[in-house]
Amino acid sequence: MKIFRNPDVMWREEDEYKKQALDALEKDDEAADIGTSILYYDGRMLTLNILGTEVWKRCDGRTLDEMVSELIEVFDVSPQVLLKDAAAFLDEMKEKGLISCED
Amino acid sequence: MKTDWLPAAPLTINWAVTNKCNFKCGHCYSRADPFDELDPDVLHTCIERVARSGILSVNFGGGEPLLRKDLMDLAAHASQEGLRVSMNSNGYLIDTDNARELKKNGFSKIGISIDSHKPEVHDSFRGVRGSHERAVKAIYYLNEAGIETSISSVICKINHNDIDPLTDFAVHMRVKQLNVHNFKCSGLGYSNKDELDLTSDEWRQFYIRALEAKQKTKDIDISLDDPIIALLGAGKGDSMVKGSVCGKLSLNIKTNGDITPCGFIPIVIGNIVRDDLKDLWKNSPVLEKMRNKIPTGKCVQCSKFDDCLGGCTARAIALTGDMNNPDPHCWRNED
Repeated sequence: MKIFRNPDVMWREEDEYKKQALDALEKDDEAADIGTSILYYDGRMLTLNILGTEVWKRCDGRTLDEMVSELIEVFDVSPQVLLKDAAAFLDEMKEKGLISCED
Repeated sequence: MKTDWLPAAPLTINWAVTNKCNFKCGHCYSRADPFDELDPDVLHTCIERVARSGILSVNFGGGEPLLRKDLMDLAAHASQEGLRVSMNSNGYLIDTDNARELKKNGFSKIGISIDSHKPEVHDSFRGVRGSHERAVKAIYYLNEAGIETSISSVICKINHNDIDPLTDFAVHMRVKQLNVHNFKCSGLGYSNKDELDLTSDEWRQFYIRALEAKQKTKDIDISLDDPIIALLGAGKGDSMVKGSVCGKLSLNIKTNGDITPCGFIPIVIGNIVRDDLKDLWKNSPVLEKMRNKIPTGKCVQCSKFDDCLGGCTARAIALTGDMNNPDPHCWRNED
């Protein structure tokens, strides 16, 4: 199933926070609480952590499996854990109307 | 979002492109502002600088933006620079042809001011007979042209009991959003506050009804931009900034390029022509103070302060002179 960002959602990465998150990952520190991108839609705002950001950037028609096979090179976790976390994130994004899926 | 998390630049800019207006609203915040406007070439350069700063969207206002002759050029330029372009208008000058032009030049969303479902109430408030009918037609033309529309309503004495019929009207007009704006005591709004502003208890009653309307209405989104609704348990969650969004997500640019935290706060922190926007955003002492408000008075002991952060900063400044003072609309008693 191909996954697409809602084109109405404006977004950008936050370079300074991304660097902080990458530094934390490098040191095996916790990075999940660091917002590295920001989504802006209908006057609302949402920050995504480094995993959410990397998944979000790949919502351009790629499938979940394709995303996970790319991201496993970036994050030091098992494929099963990454698949579960990415799927949970995408479920939340879909519920908020921020992504759509196509067969 | 963590309270100490600050994006590298504003997400959006509210940009007054002209202070000229064809209406006579008694609550106008910009009528007393200077009428000098930036030249088109300068404005184009400023738009490029804004886009390069990472800002995502600009919302043109004023005044009535359509009274600026080069509005379409400005919008097209902003759109080409990658900015999402929107506008607030009274709708009086919008017809079939320029609705198409607005679409063609990059406007993705336009908010039309309509304060009441009753034409006579709106016309009287806006000071122009027939303005309700023209605003209704404007929404029709914009919808036809494929531009997303919203209705913006300023809540005050004339309409605070009418949120349900106003919502029904907005649904009927097929707009995406009903933007409910709290009355600000800025500009003429300050001069006319005694006739127009609500008491704190009237605000409480209004927001209870508005939140009920928001809850039960599935056809449109009712947007309530007042941080004071946190007192009713609303506006929580990770997608919303606590307190005022001004200076945390957005900034305001006046017609002469002066930058203020919002259109209702008359504190100039810089000018878009001469200053670096990201530097101002990061280092302005005024913005720093707004982002780290210190509770005073009844806010000191209030259990809701962490949610509302003292309410609307513009109102506190307008009516008390100090942004740290409690929002005068707050209905909570001293603890």
